[in-house]
Amino acid sequence: MSDNRLSQEPAGDATWRRHGAWLTPLLTLVCCLAIWEAAVRFLAVPVYLLPAPSQIAAKLATSYPLFFSETLSSVASISAGFAAAVIVGIPAATLMIYSEWFRRSIYPILLTAQVLPKVALAPLFIVWFGFGLLPKVLMTFLISFFPIVIDTLTGLNSVRPESLMLLRSMGASRWQAFWKVRLPSALPSMFGGFKIAITFAVVGTIVAEFVGSDHGLGYILVLARGNLDTVTVFAAILWLVAIAFLYYFAVELLEWLLLKRRGSNRSHELGAGL
Amino acid sequence: MAKTGQPNPIISIRSISKTYRSRSNAVDALRDISFDIVKGEFVSFLGPSGCGKSTLMMILVGLAKADGGEILIDGRRIDTPFTDVGIVFQNPELLDWRTALKNILLQIEIRRLPVQKYSERARELLAQVGLAGFDDRYPHELSGGMKQRVALCRALIHDPEILLMDEPFGALDALTRDQMNSDLQRIWLDQRKTAVLVTHSIDEAVFLSDRIVVMTPRPGTVAEVISIKLPRPRTVESRNTPEFNEYVAGIRRYFFSLGVLKDER
Repeated sequence: MSDNRLSQEPAGDATWRRHGAWLTPLLTLVCCLAIWEAAVRFLAVPVYLLPAPSQIAAKLATSYPLFFSETLSSVASISAGFAAAVIVGIPAATLMIYSEWFRRSIYPILLTAQVLPKVALAPLFIVWFGFGLLPKVLMTFLISFFPIVIDTLTGLNSVRPESLMLLRSMGASRWQAFWKVRLPSALPSMFGGFKIAITFAVVGTIVAEFVGSDHGLGYILVLARGNLDTVTVFAAILWLVAIAFLYYFAVELLEWLLLKRRGSNRSHELGAGL
Repeated sequence: MAKTGQPNPIISIRSISKTYRSRSNAVDALRDISFDIVKGEFVSFLGPSGCGKSTLMMILVGLAKADGGEILIDGRRIDTPFTDVGIVFQNPELLDWRTALKNILLQIEIRRLPVQKYSERARELLAQVGLAGFDDRYPHELSGGMKQRVALCRALIHDPEILLMDEPFGALDALTRDQMNSDLQRIWLDQRKTAVLVTHSIDEAVFLSDRIVVMTPRPGTVAEVISIKLPRPRTVESRNTPEFNEYVAGIRRYFFSLGVLKDER
């Protein structure tokens, strides 16, 4: 939209400036896929070792209904587990702020639950809860709970003491201080935790499906590997990547909607990359 | 030296002491401070950093506890936070998700006063500090001086008995600071609130105050109380008068004699 007399650039440059942001990664992807396809064909790699992109694409197209229904099973687990982690995590962090006693008693348990490799718990979950949705949700919850609690805690503690003194001089109740100042100032940090937690949640569900389940993309992965059906493994991984992206972007979208007014990109702009 | 027994004191500071204790040592922050502030008066507490003046401010309105002595406001002993007050800190403490107007109205929301009724007053206050039409701006769209003006409006919106300012202009550049001093004086002359200012700027204290309480550092004590008898409204030109400069020079000399200012190390 600049003055043409001043900036006489070739038409290509303008297109590049406008669309480069998505054109660059797209071209990179296309190049990678082309090299992959060519390599597999010219080196005659067996399909159980590495299928060509075209074979995976064909699989995706033909087995669409199967993948879709199994994906729904995984999605249910990821959504429920992540939602539970948010619903339990935020009040837990809030209690930890206000009750020294609660913080002291819960922190060791929280930390133990975090350092413990949760895959190790999966066999127990099968013994206790069988092969249904519940053990998957529980695993997802466990794995995404910690970042939500820790980042909410950090966020709730980020209120400046002067802000709280100001509120006290206004005669604010604890309830008012929480809703009007503490929680809103915690949001940026909380979303940091949510973003980590949502990617963990996907991992949690897949791991639970690996270990013992009769549904879901993780189950498909195990099954296909057993049959040396590498094409299906790749197709399942692609579905996984797609839903993981969707979840992540959903969280980012929510963050953008809630925080766009705050001008937090200023430091990025003025810092000029520092 | 501390003068007590002023007529009709609104705030009585009586032998306030405060000690900060850590595991290894104890620091005397304030020792035996006594002072009376009269209703409608502009008083500044002036001293170098570390003289406990900010601590005294917080104790004054019950936001911090003293180890000895008591504070009386309107004859009532202060044990819990005194809320008929407006406070301005050095940092504006604006909430970055609220517009200038909404930041001012936080004071009203928290106090459960009718927001609608006070919105008009908030706009008037913004106009008075030269920010007419800035109601919908977010803090990140305002300069440091503008933010502090909004903070001042927030401290005044509920028409408090006392205005408390803890180095409110300390982070601003010298020119903005002088301008803020003039604006503050104009608003104060208009509303005649009891104003308490903590500052380390001698100029600022002389320009704004009826009386200046000069404090010594570590432990903080009242060294001297100086009445500033310059006519109001004080103007930019007032700063250049011999009388103004005599006050400033006198206080600087006093800090020199206390060893707060030295020529050689």
